[in-house]
Amino acid sequence: MLSEIPVWRIKYMPKTLDEVCGRDQIKERLKKAIHQRNFPHLLFVGENSIGKTTIANLFSKEFLGSLYDTNSKLVYSKVPLTEEETKQARSEAYVSQTKLGSLAGRSITTPAFIRVKIKPFVQLKVLGNAPFKILIVKNFDSLGFNQQAFRRLMEKYGTNCRMILITTKISRIIDPIMSRCQIFLISPAEFGSFRDLIERIAQKESLKIEQGVIEILYKISEGKISRAIDLLQLCSIGGEIVTSEMLYENSFNAKHDMVRALILMCFKGNFTKARELSRKIQTRYKFSSQELFQIMLIEMKKLPLSKYSRSKIINYIADADFRAIDGRDTDIQISNLIAKICSFSEVL
Amino acid sequence: MVKLTIKPNDKMPWVEKYRPKSVNDMALPSARVGRQKVNIAEELRKFIVEFFIERIKINEKNKAIRIYNRTHEEKEQKEELKLAPEKAAVLLEGPPGVGKTTIAYALANDLNMEVIETNASDTRTKASLESKLSETTKSKGIMDFIVESKKKLILIDEVDGIYGVTDRGAVPTILKLIENTQFPIIMCSNEYKQSLQSLYTKIKKFEIESLTNDEMLKIAKKIVSKEKITGLSVSDLNLIIDKNHGDLRGVINDLQGISQGSFDKDNKDLILNLNRDNTEEIFSLVRDLFQKVNTLKEARALTNKSDVDYNFLYKWINENLTSFIRLNREIVNAYENLSLADEIFGRIKKNQYWSLLPYFYDLFAGGVVLSRKNRPPDESYHRIVFPRYTSSGFFSLNANEKSIVDKIQKKYVVSDIEAVQDFIPFLRSLCSSSRKLLGNVSDWFELDAKEKKLLKQE
Repeated sequence: MLSEIPVWRIKYMPKTLDEVCGRDQIKERLKKAIHQRNFPHLLFVGENSIGKTTIANLFSKEFLGSLYDTNSKLVYSKVPLTEEETKQARSEAYVSQTKLGSLAGRSITTPAFIRVKIKPFVQLKVLGNAPFKILIVKNFDSLGFNQQAFRRLMEKYGTNCRMILITTKISRIIDPIMSRCQIFLISPAEFGSFRDLIERIAQKESLKIEQGVIEILYKISEGKISRAIDLLQLCSIGGEIVTSEMLYENSFNAKHDMVRALILMCFKGNFTKARELSRKIQTRYKFSSQELFQIMLIEMKKLPLSKYSRSKIINYIADADFRAIDGRDTDIQISNLIAKICSFSEVL
Repeated sequence: MVKLTIKPNDKMPWVEKYRPKSVNDMALPSARVGRQKVNIAEELRKFIVEFFIERIKINEKNKAIRIYNRTHEEKEQKEELKLAPEKAAVLLEGPPGVGKTTIAYALANDLNMEVIETNASDTRTKASLESKLSETTKSKGIMDFIVESKKKLILIDEVDGIYGVTDRGAVPTILKLIENTQFPIIMCSNEYKQSLQSLYTKIKKFEIESLTNDEMLKIAKKIVSKEKITGLSVSDLNLIIDKNHGDLRGVINDLQGISQGSFDKDNKDLILNLNRDNTEEIFSLVRDLFQKVNTLKEARALTNKSDVDYNFLYKWINENLTSFIRLNREIVNAYENLSLADEIFGRIKKNQYWSLLPYFYDLFAGGVVLSRKNRPPDESYHRIVFPRYTSSGFFSLNANEKSIVDKIQKKYVVSDIEAVQDFIPFLRSLCSSSRKLLGNVSDWFELDAKEKKLLKQE
């Protein structure tokens, strides 16, 4: 094994809560909780990839100390269950013996996700002399209806296990969950600490950064540190001095670029090629149709188009998105959108 | 007393009537074990003969062991010997109608054996299989003490028809049967099935290939002359044989079907109407939809007539639409209808609005096909392709992606989705710029060559 970690993003991951870039207020509050050996259920809200999970992980690591491995668990709620897990969930369904009438003899199931991933962990007693276990649930908003099941879980097993729920959109969290949690709004790192971090990395990697470039880096990466470090590493391959031109050159977003290429292909009016490309995007990035349409909308707004055609295309995207909600074959809905833009480009 | 006579040749299906009684009368299909060609009849005969020799040897040894065990009860017991599974059973795998069942029956007839058969028409749960087979395999029948009965051959037909739910426990029972059987077992199956993997690994498998057209023609001619059918020329016979792709049973059934019908119509039409091939049907259906249909009524009639599942059909239309409809403004109309049909179908399934089904039918067939304003009168031949891209709508990874994501997750906390959408693309762009980094990265994540390739591709 190599001693040097080749990916900077991993190499410069904070090891303790103190090392986390910026956000002193939140760190202070969390440290107080560690000091008091107690905290309520937490809800972390903030944009994607600004370090919510990292903070949650480090916090529980420091809270539990050496018992971290046995008493904490990280769950991704967006990742669907594997076949084995669904099988397990099904096998554990039990037949009700108390229900009457048409409900008699029905098998009772709680949602498979909660049955397989949450309950076994929550129900198990604390190991060692830790005050309670910690469960971290990522992408909590994507649970949708299953959030309801957490209401009772949080009350019933609250003394045994505290939860840290992580979400990007607070509007999609149901009220009863919010009332059970202490809410942490996590913002991107402040520029001051961001600059310190980047300068430290540059020093360690013997990189020279031109003046004013860090400001641009902060702007491009929108304060998301992992993205900024990625960008820095890409620049470092080109040479030892990082200039603003290099930053712009490397600052691409692969998936967004591909989607933009798709829109441009549509404007050329070649339907078959555009469809090929859309299928390639879907197989590579595994977008759901909703995600793809969203990125299309963002990229479309960046293109130089007239007011009329812009509103027209937004109309098309909205229509396709709307149909895909009930539709069964996403490929047909995406093809529909592509066909519409293709033929619209001929009219222009 | 009235003597009952059964006239076998009257009402029997021809397939039964012309089923050969002996291996020598058969059109033997060619067979392979692995890559090697073998004579299937010889091999099977050898298998049966050897089975009984081995069985008797083992039975005698077991007798001795049993006596030993009884006399030395306090000491360590010896285990009874078992026959190796590949000597107890064989599997014949091949397409339908080439004579797998027939060869077993013919052999049994030649060797003066009795056939005990179970097939897909029986429910083959553990209990029912045991009651039918285990008794006959383990012990001798009551009559055996009085008269020496025939030897038996166990034929488990249509093994691939064993279904998980209705035939629960069938495979373990068969495996147990193979261990303890007193009679040779022949199994027949049409295709490879994952759930029967544990069977396949234990026993010898003969892959039987379809019959050649010449062989089938010979038999067809024989039947035609025996049944005194007139009006079928050799080219008609060839047409029938071609259509059946090496399925002799299909040929014989077709012959019977034709001879029983009237000969008023053109023979060719009659033959073509006797179609068993489903994929062929879907191909021609899609072609007809795009190339022959002129009105909504015709489209509806065509989709109603075929028994292709509409669940599939509209995906086929989605895939093949662009090879028939070329102009963008026509594609738009077609997709407008197809996507609406898809949405309607989704709502039907979700909320059980079955009253919407007529719209679905008209939109996905007629609506799509007729969105072309002018159809060239004589269109060339188009290749119809399978729906290549099927999106389940759920996030899922293929085996390669799964393994790389797993390895990354060992070193770096990241979810599957983030890994695929953000982290791997970044690694890809990082590695594309320098080979050394590619080496470092793949070393650090301990990737193998296949996964390394995944990082290299653009």
